[in-house]
Amino acid sequence: MKKVVALLFIVALAVLLLYVVANMPPMGDPENPTATHVISRYLERAEEETHTENVVTGVILNYRGYDTMGEVTVIFCALAGVLAVLGRERRGVIHAFVDRSEVPSSVIVKTMVRFVVPFIILFSVYTILHGETSPGGGFQGGAIIGGSMIIFTTIFGLYESSRRIPLKVRASLEGAAVMGFFLVGALGLLGGGNFLTYAWPRVARSLQPSLVVWLTVLVEVGVGLGGAMVLISILFAMIREEEEIAPAP
Amino acid sequence: MAARDIVAAVFCCIGTFFFIIGTTGLIRMPDLFTRLHPSTKCDTLGACSVILGMAVHNGWSWDLLKLVFIMCFLLLSSATCGHAIGRSALRRNIPYWKKKEETEDGHGA
Repeated sequence: MKKVVALLFIVALAVLLLYVVANMPPMGDPENPTATHVISRYLERAEEETHTENVVTGVILNYRGYDTMGEVTVIFCALAGVLAVLGRERRGVIHAFVDRSEVPSSVIVKTMVRFVVPFIILFSVYTILHGETSPGGGFQGGAIIGGSMIIFTTIFGLYESSRRIPLKVRASLEGAAVMGFFLVGALGLLGGGNFLTYAWPRVARSLQPSLVVWLTVLVEVGVGLGGAMVLISILFAMIREEEEIAPAP
Repeated sequence: MAARDIVAAVFCCIGTFFFIIGTTGLIRMPDLFTRLHPSTKCDTLGACSVILGMAVHNGWSWDLLKLVFIMCFLLLSSATCGHAIGRSALRRNIPYWKKKEETEDGHGA
């Protein structure tokens, strides 16, 4: 009986999904709603309006700045949820964290991680700062920093990595992404425009391009740092959880 | 120009060949250790041949430096990865594959 109900439900879902797919606009058609509204303006005028060579960055951080601010807030809320459930890591309790796996990591792995992690962080800095001219940007760079710290933590343990990035630093930088957006928005108000407008009417026109670029870089750096710290904090909180589930043998 | 393209194509074909071999081995081999053997070939021989082909195709430019860097990091990290997996599996006494008819002392039945 249960199986029949499940099968019926799946069939109904499949029919619904197929019906929706059949009604979707054909792929690659220039008459599609996605291609007729704002996309042509983005492609034609993004470079002169947002002063970024990378149209994607222009769309994400400038045209759809509010949207991205919401996304950044979602990431911050994810961290807040994880911390509300799992709590911060407590180094006093975790202090005795050593390599408890059956096989301690070998010298080769430790040396390689020590050697590679700085390069990964260097690459992420490049990704963040070069975001407005090449593919990449704050989100990607932050994710790369988070990944490098995940490697470091799996090899050297929570004690070592939370000594490198102490709680004080993380707690103050976790909101950097949201704060970066609010700062740029507020600077827009100071400059005589609306919230989150990169163009300031009270500033000379010749200064506008460099102003827009600097504000974009500010947002990028904020998003990168904030995203990285959020990822690292979530990782640390989860490691503590694992420790409590599986105590030392 | 044509000769350079041919050399690049040959290198890329060698790389793809090793990728196919490695993936086939990963699926077909019976246990962890024998799977580790072909799958590490993907990164070293396969990817490095493809990168070499791209470098030849590209000629002298700054992109060549980037390709060399990618190759170095690929070699280092993939070798380390294979070492870590193999060592961990060996120390954890993960059983390795034997032919069915073989007895404990390794001689055929």
